[in-house]
Amino acid sequence: MNIMKDRLKNYKGGILGFSLLLFLIGITTYTILYIPAKERAEWNNPFFWINYPKNAAPAWVNYFLIPFQQQLPEHKIYSKNEAVTSSFSEIDFKEDNHTFFYDFVYGQFPSGFSIPFSLEFGEIPPAVEISVKRPDGLEFVIYYNSLDSVPSISNDVGGQLSNASNQQHEVSQRVFSSSKEVTDSLMEYADLFNFTISDLPAEKIIFSETDSNKPMKGIYQFIFTTYSFDSDTILKEINLIIEGKVFGLMGTDEFRRDITFGIMIGTPVALLIGVAVASTATTIGLFYGLIAGYKGGKTGTLMVIMIDLFLSIPTMVLFIVLSLNFGSSLLFLIGLFVLFGWPGLALINRTFSVQIKNYPYVEASKLMGESDFKVVLRHIIPQLVPFTLANFALAVPAAILAEAALSFLGFGDPSFPTWGQMLQDAHFSSAEILGYWWWILAPGLMISITSLAFILIGRSLEHRAKLGKKQ
Amino acid sequence: MSIIIYLVKKISILVLVLIITLLVTISLLGSTIDKIMVDNIRIQVTNSLSDSISENQRLNQLQDPQERQSIIEEQINIQTKSLGLDEPWYSPKKISNSLIQIATLNLGNSRFFTTNDGSSSVNELIIEKLPNTILLFTTSSITVIVIGIILGSYLAKREGKISDKLVAGLASASLSVPPWWFSMIMIVLFSYLLQIFPARSTPLISPGTPGYIVDLLYHMALPFITMVIIGFASSVYYTKYIVLRVIEEDYIKTLGIIGLPPRKILLKHALKNAGPQLMTMLGIGLTATLGGSILIEEIFDWPGMGNLFYNAVIQNDSPLIIGLVYFFTLLYLLTRLVLDLTLSFLDPRIRTGEE
Repeated sequence: MNIMKDRLKNYKGGILGFSLLLFLIGITTYTILYIPAKERAEWNNPFFWINYPKNAAPAWVNYFLIPFQQQLPEHKIYSKNEAVTSSFSEIDFKEDNHTFFYDFVYGQFPSGFSIPFSLEFGEIPPAVEISVKRPDGLEFVIYYNSLDSVPSISNDVGGQLSNASNQQHEVSQRVFSSSKEVTDSLMEYADLFNFTISDLPAEKIIFSETDSNKPMKGIYQFIFTTYSFDSDTILKEINLIIEGKVFGLMGTDEFRRDITFGIMIGTPVALLIGVAVASTATTIGLFYGLIAGYKGGKTGTLMVIMIDLFLSIPTMVLFIVLSLNFGSSLLFLIGLFVLFGWPGLALINRTFSVQIKNYPYVEASKLMGESDFKVVLRHIIPQLVPFTLANFALAVPAAILAEAALSFLGFGDPSFPTWGQMLQDAHFSSAEILGYWWWILAPGLMISITSLAFILIGRSLEHRAKLGKKQ
Repeated sequence: MSIIIYLVKKISILVLVLIITLLVTISLLGSTIDKIMVDNIRIQVTNSLSDSISENQRLNQLQDPQERQSIIEEQINIQTKSLGLDEPWYSPKKISNSLIQIATLNLGNSRFFTTNDGSSSVNELIIEKLPNTILLFTTSSITVIVIGIILGSYLAKREGKISDKLVAGLASASLSVPPWWFSMIMIVLFSYLLQIFPARSTPLISPGTPGYIVDLLYHMALPFITMVIIGFASSVYYTKYIVLRVIEEDYIKTLGIIGLPPRKILLKHALKNAGPQLMTMLGIGLTATLGGSILIEEIFDWPGMGNLFYNAVIQNDSPLIIGLVYFFTLLYLLTRLVLDLTLSFLDPRIRTGEE
């Protein structure tokens, strides 16, 4: 009865481990099928992430903030199609308006906004104006720029400038709420507010009530106007991006990267490292241990001393010194973990094979004249298979944890973003001191879940493995 | 007799490991060390010559700076030759020379770091940080073991309760959680949200001032608590397992039949017999945390050897890296040796039996 209970208990752990593993395999399959390799390589490319918010918390945080009326603004991107257009013509100039309606319903200020646009114009460059109409009727002009006729206006981030052959110029710009033009323009409205606005960022002025610096709810109109003096001006693209304080399932980091994306592309890499290291190390460990145990004598002793030697090395220190010189390659890391992973496994296998060697049926078959190779193949290896499987499962987390630790120290392979590298970035940006918990929580949890899955599977395999004395 | 053979075997393996680790380090950082040693000689020679200039007649007569320079160069060349620095790092003479230099703690000067007193000697730097590392990691490891023994032997008496499953589950979980990640979470919790402990564990008061010890202990609290939380579940789990196995032995059962009270059996006989295995557990815990100390000290900014090592690696401060590798390996191997020796005294079977 007790044994049955015991079995069931281990079985439960194994089932939990197995379902965690299935979950991880699910993420891996999805990532490989639906996220193209090209996109996966964009992790460290800042331009890829420019339209994302900075340091945004996970979107579900808002559900917990409902009772406090302190909901955080969501990230919002308006495209050109969502703008209401109107135009107005005079004899010598033409005015084009693109108006975005932003319904601001949150209890806190957004963390900024940006307006990227690209214009095509002929000989006479147009002027560009951005203004905001607030729910209380005030209107602020926050940006005015008469574009230069000389094509040298690509000073902003991501700015591009190309010269079309038919004298058409194209200019791409991005107006940030933090840019000097915007803050300077807003200073002209300082009299309207009952508090000093000189030290505040633009979004905390635009979205603020006039009496006190609190967010004002309502519909804001962002109006983008071009004043052109010929008919060649075409607004090709415009967006309004209100940077939220919450975004997606897991939020974003200091570099605007979507953490959900990082978690997903990290999964296949972690599993690859774990499985590659564990399978190689267990195979080497199995055969090394077998030979050391079965041969015995001087060769055996020498082989054991070799294992002892490896096990006495302070691995973390050596890992760091080696990575310092050869680091930053996935293949190197895998090789390193195999090199220091097999000795422990070899020692276990040696102990077992010494035991099995002395079992009566093995001795009998040896007396019957079976060759050593056949004895090992027919009697010893089948007995070791269950243990080897358990050892394999238990070796996976060791490799994953080692990779995470080395990545955290900065020796990860930058072309394969891993959870350890995400945590390194977080630590370098002082995320734990600034309270960006979502940036720390998710990658670490994934490392833990992956390790736990294999530990549980390994433990339940280990419990079931038993040496048979008869055959 | 057997104990001597055992000892010799153990020590020779440890010495071999030390040599191998140093060889790897030297071969990887060797060329930079050479440059540093030549620089040191240059400074030494220049200093000693300018110091003795008033006494040294011959140099005094040489008013021509170029001639004086050539004499200095000559001196440097003689000294580099005598140390074998003109040969490449892989020449046998050179390697043995470097090994001796390191083994005799002739570790040179750090390039970027100084002690609180302003000295940049690698030895002094390490000696300043070493006590902090030992303080944090031994106190936390011993606390973990004590909790393990108390809770573990208590739970061993009442097997099969929910607490058993809880401990087993916690032990598996704490093995799969990276300790350094857990440290970051603890900082978010206790420094950012609750604001009980400082996020940076380097004391603000300089050593020597009256309140230093109190400040140091206050700053140590968070890393200490973190390490105890990470370690205690495994410790309880394994102690329970070890004590259970000892209790199952016939001689303990006999004591019960004789009529000794269970508490006395547990405390006096069972724990005594579980001693060697508990020692092993402590040793494994200590050596494992030593490697992890690099990350944990860095995250908490605890002024220990691990933190110094991390910063030396980041700044590529070769003399300091080599010195720290030497000390880390030495500390690690000495821990293992002490453990092996204690075990062989506690349990004579280890040093005699083959299997």
